[in-house]
Amino acid sequence: MSITKNRAFALTAAIAVGGLILTGCGAGGRTASKNATAVSCDYTAPDSATTVNVLAYNSSAVDPFTNTMVSSCTKGKVAVKHDPIDFGGQVTKTTATLSGSTGSYDIIETYSFVIPGLARDKKLRPLNDLFEKYADKYGLNDINKSMRAGMSYEGNLYALPMQAQMFVMAYRADVFDNLGIKVPTTFDEMIAAAKAIKAAGVMDYPIALPWLATSDIGTSFQAAMNSLDADFVSKDGTVTLDTPEAKQALQSMLSLKPYMDPQVTTFDQPKVQQQMFNGTAAMSIMFSGRMNDLTLTSNSKLSDSFKFAAPPKVNAAAKYSYDRLSIDGWSIPFNTKLDPDMLFVMMASAVSEDASKASIPAAYPARNGMVTADNSPYGKAATDSIASAMPPIASPVLASVTTEIRPILVQILAGNLTINDGAAQMQAVAQKIVG
Amino acid sequence: MKAREFWLLFAPSLLVMGGLLVIPLVRTVQWSFESVHYGSPGSFVGLENFATALTDPRFGRAVLFTLAVTAATVVILLVLGYLIATAINRITRSRPIVLGIMLVSYVLPNLVGAVAFSWLFDDNFGGVINRMIEFFGGNQVLWFTDQVPNGILVIVNTVWHMLPFAMLIILAGLQGVPTELREAGIIDGARAVQSHLHIIIPTIRGVLGFVTLISIMDVLRMFDNLIALSPQAASIGNESIMLYVYSVAFADGAQRLGLGSAINVLTIILILTLLIPFIRGIFKEAKAAR
Repeated sequence: MSITKNRAFALTAAIAVGGLILTGCGAGGRTASKNATAVSCDYTAPDSATTVNVLAYNSSAVDPFTNTMVSSCTKGKVAVKHDPIDFGGQVTKTTATLSGSTGSYDIIETYSFVIPGLARDKKLRPLNDLFEKYADKYGLNDINKSMRAGMSYEGNLYALPMQAQMFVMAYRADVFDNLGIKVPTTFDEMIAAAKAIKAAGVMDYPIALPWLATSDIGTSFQAAMNSLDADFVSKDGTVTLDTPEAKQALQSMLSLKPYMDPQVTTFDQPKVQQQMFNGTAAMSIMFSGRMNDLTLTSNSKLSDSFKFAAPPKVNAAAKYSYDRLSIDGWSIPFNTKLDPDMLFVMMASAVSEDASKASIPAAYPARNGMVTADNSPYGKAATDSIASAMPPIASPVLASVTTEIRPILVQILAGNLTINDGAAQMQAVAQKIVG
Repeated sequence: MKAREFWLLFAPSLLVMGGLLVIPLVRTVQWSFESVHYGSPGSFVGLENFATALTDPRFGRAVLFTLAVTAATVVILLVLGYLIATAINRITRSRPIVLGIMLVSYVLPNLVGAVAFSWLFDDNFGGVINRMIEFFGGNQVLWFTDQVPNGILVIVNTVWHMLPFAMLIILAGLQGVPTELREAGIIDGARAVQSHLHIIIPTIRGVLGFVTLISIMDVLRMFDNLIALSPQAASIGNESIMLYVYSVAFADGAQRLGLGSAINVLTIILILTLLIPFIRGIFKEAKAAR
């Protein structure tokens, strides 16, 4: 009996351990076709078996387009493949695949922030000719003109816009209504709202922003500068990180800190979402691609309480809102060996009218007039946000500058560096990059 | 064994070792003297990469943090591993289930385990430990942004992950201690503590040395658990050497492979220096066994 029991114990333990191993190994398979829309994808297929490798990070806003491409364009001898990856992984793999004469990917997801740098380094194929060729068939002229401009550099289009993401403020309408608080339009009003919420004992840290030290913090600083009609560099390429606007932006960010979780510099967007889901924050500002998650009852019991608005300005005198507009799109790497026509048709199919419609409300498609207040809970806020955002400055050095100033920025926000010293250090670092 | 048989059996291992160990090692040393970008041949820069690494205060902080975590973790692993192995060695019927449960933390992918572990300390995901601290009247601990609490968190997670390995190896060592030897000690009047200190531990000295050796090598290479446990590792001085290498060589599309290689060469030298006493001990034992 004891031997049998021992064996049973051993078997149970083995099954438990084996199950855990299999669970671990199974994490992250190839993207399935959920969220996919069936669209026509009429390319001329090559004679031999062909695999089209797609690099695109996973998010609820990008997935519908990627999944549509994978499911609709895989046919016959052509297989479109996409492996799950996060945004950081995409950044690293983009650099790697574009570095040599051959790459691992044939279609890559790009965004407006990196287009100038990649275009300057001739890492992407200009798409003007293909756009003209297929514009009528796929209704490409309905893609927002300013978004196309955002994916262009020196007159050439380098990515076919898929969707845009802009900062949107999500807030707890129930808390605001109960306390008679109006939706904040400036940082001062945000602070006043936070004080009132805190004083009422509803929560300790009413404001939630993604300020992760290794990524989001740079975007947030840029958004604060944009609100003041400035950026890290001016249109002529001069570094502007020790200007009064830069210092004012830093000061305004510091002014929010007492009302945010003390560990805010470890919070990325999913963690900010989690704060909202849990009811530990009453207002947050994130990219619009994160907003639909807040409205899903499966994510939070508070989903009905969330309302959306354009982000506030840094101060009442600021020209623009605390905002960043990022356009996502599809690009063809310079080193793919596959037929550019076939690849472009796949990209055009993925951003077709049907595919774009189906991506709402998870995404804000690049096609004109798609998102309305009726079909997207944050549609009006997103449209208002675009209207109040500073037009982006297209500079090939912005991405590098953002990366290099980040550690200094963290030290300023942690209180280890004064604003003046930090601004001077950031200016020096950025000037070294600009040369 | 004939020479032909020997080479037939040895050749696959030689190929794998050459392909996966020797060639990358040679290439790492070569790149450490070059400026290298993806997809293009490197250009010789002499000792510039080493100078950059050695004059970067961040590298110094990464070395200090890595060594501190390694020292603390290895000591805890040996002590706890020995105590738990001794306890498990005494149980018979429930041993398989106890071992099965204990192995969970070891078989989990390190990153997955670290993410789950971090939730114990993260208010956004329940923060069970924080709730317990609060229950007992303690103040809020900033586990992810204060250097010392974060260092403790990293050490505890590393111990949690590696303890089953240490315990299993020590348990195997304990099972090899001759019963006669223990009985002789008892007859000579040795108490339990004396028996452990003067009979069992000296007998399994080699096993403990092996656990120490492997643990030092593993902890010195820690990387993925810090992604979850120390999101702002660099700014609070809790960056490991491997995380530092990743940050300067790969993160955010960086392409400083030469600098990364130089840091790796320095790390290899550091690891070898730390392991010299253990390697010498193993050689001595092997020599004595002949």
